[in-house]
Amino acid sequence: MCPLFSPPLFMQRYQFVVDFVQKHEPKKVLDLGCAECSLLRKLKFHGNGVELLVGLDKDSSVMRTRMHSFAPLSSDYLQPRSGPLTIELYQGSVTQPDPSTHCFDLVTCIELIEHLHLEEVERFTEVLFGFMAPSNVIVSTPNADYNPLLPGLVGFRHHDHKFEWSRKEFQLWALRLCDLFGYIVSFTGVGSPADSHTNVGFCSQIAVFNRDPSRQDSALQCRSREEPTVYRLLYSVVYPSLSDNNILQRTLVNEVLCRAELIKRSWLSGEWVAKTAPEPFMQGSSVCVSLLDVWACPRVRSLCGTLRRFTEALMGELRVELTPARQAIIMPADEEEEEEVEEDEDAEAAGTKWTATTATEDWDAEMPHNSNSNLPDFHDA
Amino acid sequence: MTGRARSRSRGRARGQDTIAPGASAAAAAPDPLRHVMPPSEGQLVGRGRQKTAPPPATMEAVAQISAGFQQVKIGERGGRRRDFHDSEVFTRQQMEHVKDSKSGSSGSPIDLRANFVRLMSRPEWVLYQYHVDFNPNMESRRLRMALVHQQEETLGPSRSFDGSILFLPHRLPNTETVLCAETRQGEKVQIKITLTNELLPSSPVTLQFYNIIFRRILRILNMQQIGRHHYNPDDPLNIPQHRLTIWPGFQTNILQYESSIMLCMDVSHKVLRNETVLDFMMGLRRQCGDHNFAEACAKELVGLIVLTKYNNKTYRIDDIAWDHTPNNTFKRGDTEISFRQYYKTQYNLDIVDGNQVLLISRVKKRGPAGAPPPGPALLIPEFCFLTGLTDKMRNDFNIMKDLSTHTRLTPDQRESRLNSFVGKIQKSSQAQNELTPWGLSFEDKLLSLKGRVLPAERIVQGSRTFEYAPWAADWSKEMRGVPLISCMPMDNWLMLFTRRNADVAQSLLQTLNRVAGPMGMRMARATMIEYEDRQDSLLRALQQNVAPGTQMVVVVLASNRKDKYDCVKKQLCVECPTPSQCVVARTLSRPQALMTVATKIALQMNCKMGGELWSVDIPLKQLMVVGIDCYHDTLAGKRSIGALVASLNQSMSRWFSKCVLQNRGQEIIDSLKEALHAALKAWYKHNGCLPSRIIVYRDGVGDGMLQTVVNYELAQIMESIKALGQDYAPKLTVVVVKKRICSRFFARMDGKLANPPPGTVIDTDVTRPEWYDFFIVSQAVRMGSVSPTHYNVVYDSSGLKPDHMQRLTYKLCHLYYNWQGVVRVPAPCQYAHKLAFLVGQSIHREPNHNLDDFLYYL
Repeated sequence: MCPLFSPPLFMQRYQFVVDFVQKHEPKKVLDLGCAECSLLRKLKFHGNGVELLVGLDKDSSVMRTRMHSFAPLSSDYLQPRSGPLTIELYQGSVTQPDPSTHCFDLVTCIELIEHLHLEEVERFTEVLFGFMAPSNVIVSTPNADYNPLLPGLVGFRHHDHKFEWSRKEFQLWALRLCDLFGYIVSFTGVGSPADSHTNVGFCSQIAVFNRDPSRQDSALQCRSREEPTVYRLLYSVVYPSLSDNNILQRTLVNEVLCRAELIKRSWLSGEWVAKTAPEPFMQGSSVCVSLLDVWACPRVRSLCGTLRRFTEALMGELRVELTPARQAIIMPADEEEEEEVEEDEDAEAAGTKWTATTATEDWDAEMPHNSNSNLPDFHDA
Repeated sequence: MTGRARSRSRGRARGQDTIAPGASAAAAAPDPLRHVMPPSEGQLVGRGRQKTAPPPATMEAVAQISAGFQQVKIGERGGRRRDFHDSEVFTRQQMEHVKDSKSGSSGSPIDLRANFVRLMSRPEWVLYQYHVDFNPNMESRRLRMALVHQQEETLGPSRSFDGSILFLPHRLPNTETVLCAETRQGEKVQIKITLTNELLPSSPVTLQFYNIIFRRILRILNMQQIGRHHYNPDDPLNIPQHRLTIWPGFQTNILQYESSIMLCMDVSHKVLRNETVLDFMMGLRRQCGDHNFAEACAKELVGLIVLTKYNNKTYRIDDIAWDHTPNNTFKRGDTEISFRQYYKTQYNLDIVDGNQVLLISRVKKRGPAGAPPPGPALLIPEFCFLTGLTDKMRNDFNIMKDLSTHTRLTPDQRESRLNSFVGKIQKSSQAQNELTPWGLSFEDKLLSLKGRVLPAERIVQGSRTFEYAPWAADWSKEMRGVPLISCMPMDNWLMLFTRRNADVAQSLLQTLNRVAGPMGMRMARATMIEYEDRQDSLLRALQQNVAPGTQMVVVVLASNRKDKYDCVKKQLCVECPTPSQCVVARTLSRPQALMTVATKIALQMNCKMGGELWSVDIPLKQLMVVGIDCYHDTLAGKRSIGALVASLNQSMSRWFSKCVLQNRGQEIIDSLKEALHAALKAWYKHNGCLPSRIIVYRDGVGDGMLQTVVNYELAQIMESIKALGQDYAPKLTVVVVKKRICSRFFARMDGKLANPPPGTVIDTDVTRPEWYDFFIVSQAVRMGSVSPTHYNVVYDSSGLKPDHMQRLTYKLCHLYYNWQGVVRVPAPCQYAHKLAFLVGQSIHREPNHNLDDFLYYL
C-alpha cells in the first residue's frame, strides 16, 4: 500500500492525542486497546504533566514483548524527574468493569470500537462512560464515508473489523451516550482527502467527549481508584522522581555537599569572592561553609523552594554535618596522600602449614624424553 | 593499563537498532540487493542484525544449518558482536600431554568457594530450535516478532524469538507448522515454523540462549544494563563532593566450565557522574580559561563513555565537533532536520544552550549488511552524562580513597552480595517464571571446590637463602642485612635537586649511603647538582652533566607533575642512555620513613644499572622466559606500544627488553617478532648457545582476542624462532595471562571467609574444558578481595607436567625486582607492562638500544 498520508495516519492519530494531552494536561491517562503500547510510549515522552499512564489490552502476549521498554533509563535515576510518573499495563477486556479504571482524566480508545461486535459496543459504552466515567474520552474509528477514496479497498479496512461506521452512525452513537451519561461531544478527525472539495470527512473520525459539568453526578465523583479485581496487572513501574521524599532528600544532600565542596575549594585556593553571604571559616582542620552561601545556588533553591524548608531539610540529615549554631556546614579537610607506613608488628599466622621447598629439583630430569643435547649452535647472521 | 584503555570496549553502543541521530541516512534503509544468506545458527546472536527476513528455507538450507553447526563462530559475524568469552577456541586438544588431565599435584589442599552457581536442567533436556519464515517477507523485525507472538495458542507461553530463530521448550506436533496471521494493516501473512535443531544443554547456541534468558531475569530484577554489565540503580552510593554516583551491580556470564554449565558472577561497580558533559565543559572553561579550553576539553573528554538522556545507549567520545551546534541539521529520511528540532519532536527534550558544541562518537557498529556503515553519531553535551573516571580523577587521592571505601569489599562482604543476588533470583517469582517453563534452575549456593596451596619459595641471594612468611608474600624484612646477588659500584653518579629540596636531597644521600653498605653496594659520593624548578632548567642540567661515563642519575622532583618526570625519562632513555631514578621530594619528607624509602631506591638503582637482587630455584636448564604486554595510548592517535622482556640467565635475574610502537590497525606481534629474534640473539651472547626451552607469557590480550593470538601470533612466534636456523627447534610454550577476569575465590579460615593464601592454584571445576588453563592467586592483599590470575596455555610442546607449569609460573611471580614480594603476574609480564607504560606515558619513542640489557624502566 502506498502511503496515502504523510505522516502516516496512525502517527496523526497519536499526534492528535499528544496535542490534546499537552493542551489539557490530564494527570491520569488510560489507553484502551494499547496493543504494542506505541501511544503510551509517545505519551511517556510527550505527556508533560501526566502522572499515571495505564494501558489495557485483552492480548497480553503483545504487551509482554514490549513492556520492559517502559523501564526507566539510567539517566532517569541520575536526574530524577520533578513530577511523579507511574506506568501500569493490564490485561483485561474493555467490556468488563474494573475498579482500577476509576478516576482517569483521559481515556483514549484509538481504533478500538470497530473491533468489537455491536452488542459488545453497547456494554463497552456502559463500562466506559457509566462505570469508568473519566473526565475526557477520545474515540477514533474508521470513517466508512471515506472508504470509496481508498484505492482497491473491498469490504472493511481490516479483517477483524466488525463494522465501520459512517459519520452519521458514529455521531448517532456518540450523541446518544452523551445524553445518557452526561457528556458533551465534539467531532473531528485526521486524514483529510487530497481533494478537499470531496465531502467525505476525515479518514479516521474522532470524537472528543468531556463530562458535562452541569450534570455532575455526585455518586460518580466520590469513587476512587482501587486495586484491580478483574484485570490482571502485567507490568508496573514507578519512575524515580523528586516527589518521592527519599529521592528529594538524597538529591538535595548531593547538591548541597557538592556546592559546599566547591565553595570550600575556591575559598581555600583564595579565589572566593566576598558576596553577601558570610565567608567560610576554619574550625580545627575543617572548613565551615555558611548555609546561606549554599542557599545561593539556584539548583538548591529550586529543590527546596524556601530557605526555611532548606534548613529544616538539613537538620536531621546525617550525611550533612552542621555547626552547633546550625549556620554552616562542616566540610572535612582533604587528606594528604601518605606513604604506606611499614607495619612492624611481627604477627605470626597461627598454625601456618606452608613450608618452603628445601629439596633441589630438576624438572628436566623428570621429563620422560629428555633431549637437551644436540642443540645446534647459533650462527650470528 | 589505564582506565581509558579498559573502557574502550565498553563504549560500544547496544540495544535497539534505531539509527543514531546524525548518522548517515543511507544506513537506515535496508539494502534490497543484499544477499540473503541461508539462516545459520549463529544468527541468534546478532539479534539486531538480520533486518530482512530470510526466504523460505529449502531442504538444503536446513541440512546446512545442522551441518554447519560446529563452524558457526560468533566473531565471524562481521565482528559486530565479539565473543567476549573466547569460547570455541579449542587449544587443549592439540596438546597430547594434557588431554586426560591438566591438574597439578603439589601443595596442600584447601577448601574454597567460588563465585559460581550451577545451572541445572532436567535429564535429557533438549532445546528445540525452529526457523521461522514469513510469506510474504516481513521487513520489520518488530513486526515479525509481533506476528509470532500472536501465535501463543500454538506455541505456548514460553518462547524466545529474535526475528528468525525461535526457541521452544517443547516439540511442536509437526516438523513443519504453517500458521496464518494478519498484520494491523490487514495484510495476510503465512508463517512457516520449521524444526531445525534439537540442542543439547551444552551446545554453544544453547549457551547463548541461557544468556538471553538470564538477561531477561536481570531486567525483571530492575537492573540497568550499562555496557556489558548490569547495575542496580535503586540503591546508589553517592559521593557528592565529587559529583559521583556509584551503582552496585554484577557482571555475569553463563558458560560451559570444566565440570558443568555455570553462572559466573562478580560484583561490579559503575561510577556515574551527576553532571552532564555540558556542566563538565563549563566547569572546565571556568577553570582553564578560554584559550586553553579546546585542548583541555579534548584531553579530558576524549575516550570517556557517556550515557544519553533519551535512550539507554552508551557512547565513547572520540572527538569534539567544534563547528557544530544543536542548530546544525542532519538528514533524516529525505528531510533536513536540526538537532534541536529532532530532540524536540522525538523525545520532547528542549535544548537550553544553543551554542554548545557537539560530541562525536564513531559508532563502531555497521549498518545493515551491504550498506555503507553509518557515519559518526553527533551527541548533544547537555543530554549526555559522564560515566567512569577521568585520568585526573584517578590521580586524585581523595577521590580514590572515597571510592575505595565504597567499592572495596572484603571476601565476606563480596560473598554475601553474591549470595543475596542468587537469593533474589530464587525468590522472584517473575524470574522463576522465566526459568521453570524451560526446565532450568540455578543451584542455590555458591560452588565449593578444592584448590592447592603451593609451597612457598626459598629466596636465594648469592650464598644465602631465606624463607618468607607465606601469608604475607613479602620478604622486605627478611632481606634486611642480606647482601644482594650482585651490585654495581656507583663511582660516578649524579643527584639533581631544586634549592627548596636541598635538605631532603642531602638526607637522602646520607641514608642511601647507610643502607647501601649492608646490601653490598659500593657507593661513592654523588655529584650534587642544583636545578631550578622549571622544565628547561632541568633539561639543561641533564644535558650539561650527564656524560657517557655517568652510571646513575637521581633526580629529586619538587612535585609529582608528570612533565618533569617525562622530561627526565625522555632525555635519559632516548637521547643520552643512562639509568635514572626519580623521586618526589614529598616522599622523602618524613624522616621516620626515610630508611624504608632509601632502601627501596637503592635496590631499584642497583637493578637499573644491571645488578641482581634475589632469585629462586628454577629447576629447568637452558630456559628463556619471555613476557609480552601492550599499552594502548588512546590519546596519541590510538597508538599501541608492545613490550617484550626476555630472561638472559638461569637465575632469571637479568632481562633483555625491546619496546615497539605501532599505529592503529597493525598487529602488535608484527614488530614483536623482531624483538623476539633480538632476544634470542642476546640470550646466545650471554650463554654461548640458544635456549632449548622458550616459555612466552602473553599479557594484554583483551576479551575476545584469544583466537587471534592462537591463529596469528603463535605462528609469528614460531616463524621468529625458525628464522634462527632450520635445525633449531626449541620446546615452546605460549601462555596467555589474564588479570581482568571475573572469577573469585574465597577460603574458609578460622570460621570466617578470607582470601585464599598466596600460592593457591585452582585447576578444576571453574576452568574451561577446551583449554589447558589454571588460576593462581599469587599476591597477598591487605584490603578487599584478592583477584586470581588466569593462565591459559594455548601452545605447549615442552611436555612439562601441568604441576611444573603451575609451579614455574608461581616461581616467576617472585622475581619482580620492584617489589620485595610476590606479584600478580610472572615477573617478565610485569616488566613488560612497566616498560610499555613508561614508553606510552612518558617517552613516546623507542628507547635507546644501549639500555636493552638493563631494567632501566623500573
